[in-house]
Amino acid sequence: MQTVKMVISGAVNAGKTEFIKTISEIEVVSTERRATDDTRLIKKETTVAMDFGRIAISDDLVLHLFGTPGQKRFDFMWEILAEGMLGLVILVDSTRPETFRETNRIIDFFVSYRDTPYVIAANKQDRPNPWSPEELRLALRQPPHIKVLPCTATDRESVKNVLLELLYVIQERSED
Amino acid sequence: MALVGNIRDFSLSDFLSLVDRGYKTGALHLSYNDQMARLYFEKGKLLLAARRPEDEKPELLVRLGVLNADQVAQACRLLAERGNGLTLSQILIDTGLVSADRLQQALMSHTEQSVYGLFAWPEGDFLFEHNQRPAPDAPLAPTPISIDHLIMEGVRRIDEWERIRDRIPSTDLVPRFLAPPGEKLKGMRLAPDEWKVFARINGRDTLAEIAQKTGLSDFDVCRAVYGFLTAGMLELVKRQRVLAAGMPPVEQPRLKKSLVNRIINRIRSM
Repeated sequence: MQTVKMVISGAVNAGKTEFIKTISEIEVVSTERRATDDTRLIKKETTVAMDFGRIAISDDLVLHLFGTPGQKRFDFMWEILAEGMLGLVILVDSTRPETFRETNRIIDFFVSYRDTPYVIAANKQDRPNPWSPEELRLALRQPPHIKVLPCTATDRESVKNVLLELLYVIQERSED
Repeated sequence: MALVGNIRDFSLSDFLSLVDRGYKTGALHLSYNDQMARLYFEKGKLLLAARRPEDEKPELLVRLGVLNADQVAQACRLLAERGNGLTLSQILIDTGLVSADRLQQALMSHTEQSVYGLFAWPEGDFLFEHNQRPAPDAPLAPTPISIDHLIMEGVRRIDEWERIRDRIPSTDLVPRFLAPPGEKLKGMRLAPDEWKVFARINGRDTLAEIAQKTGLSDFDVCRAVYGFLTAGMLELVKRQRVLAAGMPPVEQPRLKKSLVNRIINRIRSM
C-alpha cells in the first residue's frame, strides 16, 4: 500500500480542522502528543493537537491529509510533517488581517528551503467582509504564478477545488 | 466589498503598499480614539489626505494660502455652472486662478504631512471602500501623488525588530533588485543611510555583509531594506540556495504523472 501526504497549514483558527473534516473519508483524528522540544522546559507537559484525515484513492494508494498545529510553539512539528509531502495548502482566514503576518511566516517556513508545490486558500469567503483572493495575494506578497483560491472550508466542492488546483500544480511538475 | 482591519495588525505602510501594487481606487477611512483620517486613491496614487472633514472642502486652499476666499467662491460658482465631471482643481488651473505647479506643491506638502502624522498611530481601525471618490469640489492634487516615499517614511518610523523580522527573517539573505530601480526611485527621497544601503545592493552581498561594509547596524540596514521591499523595489533571495550549514536544499520527490492523475480522478469523483 502506497501512501502520499498533503499538508494543510495556516494560522490558528484559519479553518484547517474544518477543511480536513469536510473531505476526509474517516472521522478526523485529532492527536494529542507530548512535546519533546524545549517547550518542556517551560511547561512540564504540553500537548500538540494535530488533525489527520484520509482519502482512499484505490486499493493500493491512500492520500493522507495532515493539519499542522497552528501555535507557534509547535513549529518543530512542521519540519516532521513537511518531510516527503506531495504539496501544501496554506489556509488563510480572509476576514482577519491580523493573521496575515503569521501566514507569511508559515509560507516562508515551508517554502524557503524546499521547492514545495503549494496553493493558498482564502478561507471564510462566506463571512462578512472577506479580503478577496487578489487582495490577499497583494497582502501576502505572493507572485502571480501562485494560485490564491477562494475557499469555504465547510463546503465540500470548495475544498475539492482547492485540492484539485494543488494537484494540477503537482501534475505540471511530475514526470511522465 | 470593503476591506477592514486594524493598522496594529496590518500596518499603514503595508496597506499603502497594497494600494500601490494593486492600483486601487477608493477611500481609506481610519479612526483612532477621537481622531479620524480619510485618504483617497486613484489607481494606486494618492489624491487627497484629510485629517478632518474640513480638509476635503475648497476652503483648505485659503488655509494653505493658495487662494483667498473670493477666489474660492468664484471657482465654486464656476464648478457648479460647468459641472460635467470637472473637478475644482481643473477649474482653478483652467481659469488661471492658480498655476498647476503652485497647487500641486501646496496640496502635496499638506497631504504628505497629513499622512506622516498617521504613522504615529499605534493602532486604528481601517476600512477601505473600493471606488469611493472625493466630492468634485474637494481640493485634489492635479497630479496624483506617488506613495512610494510615503511608504519609506512610514518604515523609517518603525522601531521594532519584530515587524521587520516578519519579512527579513535572517541577515544571511541577499537583497536583489527586481528590475532597474530608476523609475521607482524618481518619486522617492532617501535618507543618507538609506542611500548607503541602496548603493551597496549588488545581488551578491548579504544583509550582514552590507552592514559590515557600510558601518551601519543590522537593524538600520534591515529597516532600509524593509522599506525597499515594501515599496516593491527588491526581493530577498538565499545565496545560491545553499544553506548556512552547508546542507543542500531539500529536493521534492518527483512523482509519476500517472499517480497524480489517479489522485485527481479520485478527488473529482468525490
